Amino acid sequence: MFKFKIFFLTFILFFYFSFTYSQLRIEIKGGIADPINIAVVPMKWELESTQTTYLHKIIKSDLESFGEFVVLPPEGMLSLPTSKEEIYYKDWRLLGVDYLVIGGTKGSNLDGNTETNYIIFDIAREKSIHRGNVIGPIKSLRKVAHKMSDKIYEKIQGIPGIFSTKLAYIDKPSSEDPNYNLRISDIDGFESISLFSSPQPLMSPSWSPDRKEIAYVSFEEGTSRIFLQELSSAKRKGLKLEEGINSSPNWSPNGDMISAVLSKSGNPDLFIYDLEQSSWTQITKHFGIDTEPDWSPDSRSLLFTSNRSGSPQIYEANVKNNRIKRLTFEGTYNARARYLPDGKGIVFVHRRNGVFHIATQNFRSGKVRILTDTYLDESPTISPNGNVIIYATKDGDRDILAGITMDGKTKFIMPSLKGEAREPAWSPLID
Amino acid sequence: MNITQKSLLTTIIIVLASCSSVSSDRTNDSTAISASASGAYSDSGMTSNNVLYFSYDKSDVNSEGRIKIRTLAKLINDNDLNVRVEGHCDERGTREYNLALGEKRAKTVAELLIINGVSSDKIQTVSYGEEKPIVNGSNERSWSQNRRALVKTF
Repeated sequence: MFKFKIFFLTFILFFYFSFTYSQLRIEIKGGIADPINIAVVPMKWELESTQTTYLHKIIKSDLESFGEFVVLPPEGMLSLPTSKEEIYYKDWRLLGVDYLVIGGTKGSNLDGNTETNYIIFDIAREKSIHRGNVIGPIKSLRKVAHKMSDKIYEKIQGIPGIFSTKLAYIDKPSSEDPNYNLRISDIDGFESISLFSSPQPLMSPSWSPDRKEIAYVSFEEGTSRIFLQELSSAKRKGLKLEEGINSSPNWSPNGDMISAVLSKSGNPDLFIYDLEQSSWTQITKHFGIDTEPDWSPDSRSLLFTSNRSGSPQIYEANVKNNRIKRLTFEGTYNARARYLPDGKGIVFVHRRNGVFHIATQNFRSGKVRILTDTYLDESPTISPNGNVIIYATKDGDRDILAGITMDGKTKFIMPSLKGEAREPAWSPLID
Repeated sequence: MNITQKSLLTTIIIVLASCSSVSSDRTNDSTAISASASGAYSDSGMTSNNVLYFSYDKSDVNSEGRIKIRTLAKLINDNDLNVRVEGHCDERGTREYNLALGEKRAKTVAELLIINGVSSDKIQTVSYGEEKPIVNGSNERSWSQNRRALVKTF
């Protein structure tokens, strides 16, 4: 029964994604180990307009994205309850279901909005564990579904769900589009838009902590320059251009500074741009290459890559006293590191036997753990709940995005239906 | 702000919709703004011998390259040309590190041109890192052609 269910779900998942337009799509590659079984009953529809978006289907694909849940489709259910009174716990236990979600969508008192009320039940304990309510325009039902998925995830797993987050990435020119595109999409690949398009390279997208702006590098002026662009207005502004490289922008956790790399002093060094003062402060000063900065969650230090020892390694600079500490010692190529959201370690690009992998290193133990078995992996970005890593890799000669859960159990690829995707950047949680 | 600009801005806001509460179910691809830089990219320059090649993760020029640079320096001075040196890398390693490495390659070539008598104010350098490969393919054949510096007139 259980095995059959997994097979069936895989089929449904594939079917669903193959016929719905999106820029990226998630295809789970690794096995699903010990998933939580949940049933999401089709929501009662109490609106006059015809239903075109089905919340239970979106919630199903959300929860199954990273292999932690298996969601029972309506075809496998013995009844389709929409109220507490209609639930027969025994039936759901028989189907191997751990949790059940029911609910309905109706018109809201607020003009043009819909209101979805839902309840999450724990089948073993035979009681409800959460009652939720999401209000949103009828056109935004995908968003409503993602919000419900976030809450379901949080109530069951105890950490925030990430289904309302976004992904920024760069699409390289293809036969269909000769331009580089800075794209933003929902984490499931839907709602993809091009924020900026240019025949010259675009690089290094970084989200502002309030999720309202993106910093990135554009070569539109013939040389690298850092731009900030608002998402709601498409308004953009270039940071003061300095001679040489202007690259690797990375927003500080409180949003008032951007760390970046400038080579105006003759070689690439770390700088901090104060957005209020519009001025640069130099952090590192070394004749080697210093690049790829990332802010620690407490804003006290910057991670960076430097070849000052002869090969690229990860270092940490204290932004107050500019003191520098080397963090990686294993191997001869460690680069583009990002702090884990809890600040207890880093994820970075590590070369072993000539192959580039994504690896993590715990600060306390110092142990390097290689997560990926793909080839030419780079640009890791971590989900704001710390559970999933998306990175750039190759499928043959094509650039694709792929992902892996922190526990290493679930692997997935996110092939782009058009173009080739690279440099993923996971948005913060705020909506 | 006139009415046309206002309505254009409104359109952009609706199309983008990513932060507002209004959002269409299946958003079509929309280009917010397009840059106006030139399109097609090529490696060609003032002579067919304007390309210098490098070893992996290295920025030093070999003896063959030094001979090329000597010829280029003479050409630049004889014709009073201004040049732009572009540094490029292969796809291996991280993008931002490669951007830095590409600059080192461009600067090495620029310094060698200066040593060979070209005035520094006639030379510009730029790095494209691994962003503009001339050959696609994840193999040494492609990589060796992509690890390059180009001397172009402008």
